Amino acid sequence: MAKPDTGPKVLTGNLLRDGATVYYTGKDWSLYVTDAKVAATPEEAEELRKIGAAAYAANLVIDVNVVDVQSTPDHVPAHIREQIRATGPTVRRDLNKSMSPE
Amino acid sequence: MYIYDDFDQTVAKQRVAEFRDQVDRRLKGELTEEQFRPLRLMNGLYLQLHAYMLRVAVPYGTMSVAQVRKLADIARKYDRGYGHFTTRQNLQYNWIKLEQMPDLLADLASVQMHGNQTSGNCVRNVTADHFAGVIADEVEDPRIVSEVIRQWSTFHPEFSWLPRKFKIAVTGAAKDRAAVQWHDIGLQIVRNEAGEVGYIVFVGGGMGRIPVLATKVRAFLPKQELLSYLEAILRVYNRYGRRDNIHKARIKILVRDLGPEEFTRQVEAEWEQTRHTGINLPPEEETRIARYFTPPAYEAITEPVTAFEDAKKKNRGFAQWVSTNVHPHKAPGYAIVTISLKPIGGIPGDISADQMDAVADLAERYSAAEVRATHIQNLVLPNVKQADLLAVWQRLGEIGFADANAGLITDVIACPGLDYCSLANARSIPIAQRISERFADLDRQHDVGELQIKISGCINACGHHHAGHIGILGVDKAGQEFYQITLGGAGDETAATGQLLGPGFSSDQIVDAIEKVVGAYLDIRQPNEPFIATYRRVGPAPFKEKLYGTR
Repeated sequence: MAKPDTGPKVLTGNLLRDGATVYYTGKDWSLYVTDAKVAATPEEAEELRKIGAAAYAANLVIDVNVVDVQSTPDHVPAHIREQIRATGPTVRRDLNKSMSPE
Repeated sequence: MYIYDDFDQTVAKQRVAEFRDQVDRRLKGELTEEQFRPLRLMNGLYLQLHAYMLRVAVPYGTMSVAQVRKLADIARKYDRGYGHFTTRQNLQYNWIKLEQMPDLLADLASVQMHGNQTSGNCVRNVTADHFAGVIADEVEDPRIVSEVIRQWSTFHPEFSWLPRKFKIAVTGAAKDRAAVQWHDIGLQIVRNEAGEVGYIVFVGGGMGRIPVLATKVRAFLPKQELLSYLEAILRVYNRYGRRDNIHKARIKILVRDLGPEEFTRQVEAEWEQTRHTGINLPPEEETRIARYFTPPAYEAITEPVTAFEDAKKKNRGFAQWVSTNVHPHKAPGYAIVTISLKPIGGIPGDISADQMDAVADLAERYSAAEVRATHIQNLVLPNVKQADLLAVWQRLGEIGFADANAGLITDVIACPGLDYCSLANARSIPIAQRISERFADLDRQHDVGELQIKISGCINACGHHHAGHIGILGVDKAGQEFYQITLGGAGDETAATGQLLGPGFSSDQIVDAIEKVVGAYLDIRQPNEPFIATYRRVGPAPFKEKLYGTR
């Protein structure tokens, strides 16, 4: 039987207008994963999914997903794919953003 | 090269206007993403990890100086100052904004370029030998028929919604630099015993999760009957190719499931219905298109060119570069230059706007104003006088593209991988960079000799790992990047599928593993025996033993 999916999660997507990777903060969308609202429970994660679906339907964001983050204060994404999404290509550090605002 | 006529230009402009309207409606919310996605893909616009990515079509890899300069302008104006040449002879921009796309496409159209049919289940941008028209052993310049195919397949109404994407490649020479056996249709231009020009037709090659080499369905197709035959192949595929399973939708699966004989029988039967219906190109139209590919007026030059020979003797670095990056030209006193987009530690295929401008300047001054993109992610200056090679090399050195490594171990193909691509499971580019750095010593590279390493970040195989002498496939193993090694692949006229060597390696281990494979080769090679020949002689056992023997 699959393990219950209970870890912390954030809502992410890409802005329709310019494609930028963004995170839902609880009010709006930020470029930085550290600004993201973290869902600590499956119920809160479900709430994020609903917010994501509504933002998609409102043509604000596309490729909307709720993704796992680590249980740390800066909630770094759990998977390497999402870590790279959060900052930019690892081979062009000069173009990267940090995970949090400067 | 081909220049758009009024019809072509009108089509390009109309397409920009159409997409401008579609983007406008999408941004206003009048189109949903489900409705819009196929429309943007038809214009080459993908969504990747960090932004939209635009794939620009470079038909058969041929670009004018004006086009290269425009690509540089676009990189500065709409992107972050660079682009990426791919294994499909195309150019990709990584940081595109949807709202700017219509203006970007208008800029592209101003130099007769676009992103049409660089995505979607249609006939994709046709590719060809990057030495087309300038190589001595060629039956005919493959760009002529490639342009015919481009025009025939552009917005072809019957073939715009195929079961899956469809790629056609053409070589005009027996030495295959276009990897024709790895394509849905591969064409090799040949002459029959009567001296007539025609095509060997290969069908059903492809990479991805099920690598298949193409089947030769015709040993000789008369030149004038090509379009009706292509039409017959596409019809059989369009009718019977699977649409229920994306992993089984390519024509290679249909050829496999029907069997090559039955597939060929059906194509030939269809062809009997279509070949007399006026689809074939009138000879005068082919003559018209061929005129665009008339070679430049070469000067009569007597070889040897003393200044060139002297420069090689005096400058070892130049001589090394000539030995790998300069290829004999059909015209005496001229040369074909491969510009390596693989500087040591660099990102394979990446080129800045300033570098694009510098390449355009070189082409304008030294190469009859033409540049080629190769499926090995390099560029080619096809028409350089031997007497100008030293100046070209020196200028390339100033822009960081003078590495003498074409065809060597650091001339690595790598897809964008997990650094950019939403489909990838693992990063490709950092592995390519670390291999390049590990083997940076030029004498060592030249000692190892011809060796093609190709890296894909997922099973879709955009990095052509199946065709690599050494192939590297990135996989996700419990959330970690792992890399499998295949050996023995080839993309030329001796095409072969690389065989998996054994369990994969972590990112930390993979470069050491590659060095061991190379070490095994150096231990057992015979004099002047390239890596692929050694592998074919001895098989995988010595390499396995070196890699896994003590595990």
